[in-house]
Amino acid sequence: MLDFLQAVSDGVLFGATYALIGIGFTLVFGVMHKINMAYAAASIGGAYAGLLVLKVMAAAPPALVFLGAFAAGGLLGWMVYLTCFHFIPLSSPLATLMSTVGMLLLIDEVIVHVTQGMPQSYPAMFDDVMLRAGEFTLRGDLLLVFGVAVVCMAALMLLLYRTRLGLATRAVSQQPVAARLCGIRLEQVNATTFVVTGLLGGIAGALIGASVGTLSPLLTTPLTVKGLIVTVIGGLGSIPGAIVAGLLVGGFENVFQLYRGVTERDLYVMLLLFVFLVFRPGGIFAAKSGGD
Amino acid sequence: MDFYFGLVQIIGVHTLLGLSAYIVLLTGQVSLAQAGFFAVGAYAAGMLTVLAGWHLVPALGASAVCGAGVACAVGFPALRVKGLMLVIATLAFGEGVRLFFFNFDYQIAKGEIKVGPLGGEGFRQIRFFPENGWTTGEVMVFIWSIVAAAMALLWWFDRSRYGSVLRAVGEDELAAQSVGINLTAVKVSAMTVGGAIAGVGGGLYAHYTTHIEHASFNILLATFAIAYPIVGGLRNVFGTVLAVIFVQGFLIEGLRFLGDWRNLLFGALIVLAMNLRPSGFLGARRRA
Repeated sequence: MLDFLQAVSDGVLFGATYALIGIGFTLVFGVMHKINMAYAAASIGGAYAGLLVLKVMAAAPPALVFLGAFAAGGLLGWMVYLTCFHFIPLSSPLATLMSTVGMLLLIDEVIVHVTQGMPQSYPAMFDDVMLRAGEFTLRGDLLLVFGVAVVCMAALMLLLYRTRLGLATRAVSQQPVAARLCGIRLEQVNATTFVVTGLLGGIAGALIGASVGTLSPLLTTPLTVKGLIVTVIGGLGSIPGAIVAGLLVGGFENVFQLYRGVTERDLYVMLLLFVFLVFRPGGIFAAKSGGD
Repeated sequence: MDFYFGLVQIIGVHTLLGLSAYIVLLTGQVSLAQAGFFAVGAYAAGMLTVLAGWHLVPALGASAVCGAGVACAVGFPALRVKGLMLVIATLAFGEGVRLFFFNFDYQIAKGEIKVGPLGGEGFRQIRFFPENGWTTGEVMVFIWSIVAAAMALLWWFDRSRYGSVLRAVGEDELAAQSVGINLTAVKVSAMTVGGAIAGVGGGLYAHYTTHIEHASFNILLATFAIAYPIVGGLRNVFGTVLAVIFVQGFLIEGLRFLGDWRNLLFGALIVLAMNLRPSGFLGARRRA
């Protein structure tokens, strides 16, 4: 029983990173009704770019590496927008799907090329801190992951609901034509959405690197699939849904890792997706119909 | 000469993969699950010839049935959602199949050595062709006669009432439904036919490479599968064949001299191609 609780709590804490990735997919979907398949790869790419800080300044504290990943993630998000969305007409959904898959492969290969395919160790913070309650422990680095993710989500909510930019973003996601008639520049809002999701992705990638301990290009495909699963389970376009589903998937997979081993756990996450598809295809918090 | 025969074999198998995505795409569904059906067919045919000692032809028939069965079973829940949700569901399914074979052990002793799938190690020694003394040229003719049969089948579908129904669903679901077409039946049947074709393709793939492992059936293969009909256009089956020849013959083999850089170029080329021709190379004209 204690093992079970421990697995659930560790998993839910780590699940905060899945929630961040899920939010990234869902935000882009909400604004453009498109899926950015390159998102998880760009997030991992941002985390790799954060390592450049260590190249410049060998003794840099981990917090600086995280900041580097944050900034690089935003930059990568903007680049993905420019190369995969900006010049492609909105009316051809297959084209942006293919272009972002191409970008996913490109980012993967660039990472493999630059690092010679070797996994890179990633700096962690508070990894020596352990909160204990009897046999039950909470790892300090996982708590940090969770804390940073919660701060990012809160900042995102503030941005969306308390600023003019957030107002414009929500307007575009509801009615792009009407928003345009009100003088909102569509391209600018779209580009900003990619930068914002890129920033979130960069920090998510860094958090994953810090809690796993290493980064490898092998992370991108599972992260893409899990981020998308989180998006579907939460309901496409729903931010609270993505958060809840991210934590759920994190806890769920860690329980199955405990009982069935690390190689089988992802299989059960896919099964969870199909359970949702059969019984609740709209997700936990199905967004009100109006879009797709 | 064997090198070119090998290349023609690869093109044949990938054509089957592309055709399996083609028929699903006709109904307007984008499926990233075709690599999963391909994997199911590969493992099924390999196990039947190696472990059960079947001849290749009935084994390929069985892998078609396996591929079709899995596709039909996946089609029902997955096709409840459409558009981008379907892309996600089928992507997850494809990854699920890959992970299943990553964990799949079933080995039996055969003479001195143990044969059969062994998790991450993969499935070695699928030696039907060398054991029965088939030359590369004969294998090539065998593969292409199956490809020709599949193309003829799809060509006939396209000419028949069934093909019109598929295209009607692809053009406008609502209009198709309003003239009495059962959307679920049409989509699931297209998925099933696609699964059967992918299963046969997988069975052939397992036998010409003699060694399959889970890593070959990744998201890249799924991307290839839908890229062929998208690049080739949906006007008829020959577009898909041309796209396979272009991608496998030129992009993969023709650019081999670039070494490591080829993989980098590949992703960049997809991005560039989609920016320049968002609706495919041959299928640019659509009946409005």
